[in-house]
Amino acid sequence: MGTMGLALPWKARIASAPRDAAAAGLPRQAGKWGTRVEGFEHVSGGPLRAAVEAAGEDAALATACQAGDLRAYERLYALHGAKMKNLARNVLGSTVDAEDAVQETFLKVQRSIASFRGQSSFVTWTYRILINTCYDARRSRLRKKEVTTDDDSEDAPRIEPRAPGAHPSLRMALERALGKLTRHQRDVFLLYEVEGFRHAEIAGMLETTEAASKNTLFQAKKNLREMLEPPRSSTAQLR
Amino acid sequence: MNVTCKDRERIFEDGTAAEWAALEAHTADCAACAEDVRAWKSLSVAAKELQDYSAVPELWARIERALIEEDGRKAHRAEPKSWSSFLPAISMGWQAALVGAFVLILTVSVSWILVIRDHRVPPDNSSLLKSAALKEVESTERAYERAIDKLAAEAKPQLQDPATPLMANYHERLLVLDSAIDDLRAQAGLNPSNAQLRFQLLAMYQEKQKTLEEVLEARK
Repeated sequence: MGTMGLALPWKARIASAPRDAAAAGLPRQAGKWGTRVEGFEHVSGGPLRAAVEAAGEDAALATACQAGDLRAYERLYALHGAKMKNLARNVLGSTVDAEDAVQETFLKVQRSIASFRGQSSFVTWTYRILINTCYDARRSRLRKKEVTTDDDSEDAPRIEPRAPGAHPSLRMALERALGKLTRHQRDVFLLYEVEGFRHAEIAGMLETTEAASKNTLFQAKKNLREMLEPPRSSTAQLR
Repeated sequence: MNVTCKDRERIFEDGTAAEWAALEAHTADCAACAEDVRAWKSLSVAAKELQDYSAVPELWARIERALIEEDGRKAHRAEPKSWSSFLPAISMGWQAALVGAFVLILTVSVSWILVIRDHRVPPDNSSLLKSAALKEVESTERAYERAIDKLAAEAKPQLQDPATPLMANYHERLLVLDSAIDDLRAQAGLNPSNAQLRFQLLAMYQEKQKTLEEVLEARK
């Protein structure tokens, strides 16, 4: 199998230091090989204690939101607002729509917080609402525009240009390729690889199983690799 | 732990930390796996390009306003409602005008219905009890009866003083028919809608007509 370094600066990306997740204030963890391995997250005392603390905070947040405490919603926004907006942006392809979706999600959380019974974590529940809100927004936008009935185009977000990053060509190629994945594959890829959620959390958000989430991610990455990989003949020629 | 090229995809899908370490060790001697592992990991690195966690403080301000408004609406919905709360939020003057207009429309409608009903009541209430078909039968019957009476008046001289036994027989037969006709007419008067009685009465009239015609024929 060939490299993917022709159309995209893959080697440069791997060689260069990846953006530090901790610097971004995120709970993302990566193994030393660049790919996250879930077993690492719960074996040692540090992460385990962090997980317990996170669960406690999650429960406290849920209780405070149920009591109608506005500061709890502010805390939820402070912890997850940026991540929620980023996920919505990647699903909807538009910053304005993403902000609307995040606002609508907070309103939905407020409206239905009384029905939250703690079957999943409060944050997982919130993200599930966010994902459903994003897809509702997309359906509504498509109905308004009456664009097309073609399944592929209905499923794919219309990507709006965003602020230039370190590798705009890499990002644009990835966005285009993500648009060609199935909705489920795209969701799992975004939640796992971009937002850094664990498969157990993704299973709760997408109402599936952990094993299905792993398999979907595997299929998504296989498809992405095929889409982003240059044709073998050109690879051979370059060699 | 030893892994081979066959294990690569399984490790990509659900490999443990130890398996990943073994695969990494394997890539030192296997160029194909080295390429594949690098390409696979590149996707995770590339995914970071889709991260944009820039703070949007004005978004929280927007959300906060929306949450407060929603909370206010929820509290308003929870308040016990008086009858007036079902009326739309319009001024008292307009509400009074609407009620006045409603009363006026109601009065005009009721008056109109009463006037229409009065016009529809005919002067002879008894005729309401009979259908148009029954009235037609009765008028035809009376005309037929008058015609037979004329025939009977013509035959009267022969019948009053029957000169032959045949004429006496006709006279007796007509008396029986008149008696039967009187009975049937009395019953039809009690039950005017009974079609069977009407048919029997018609048969009696036809019999009387035939008998009178025979009397007049015998005179010639």
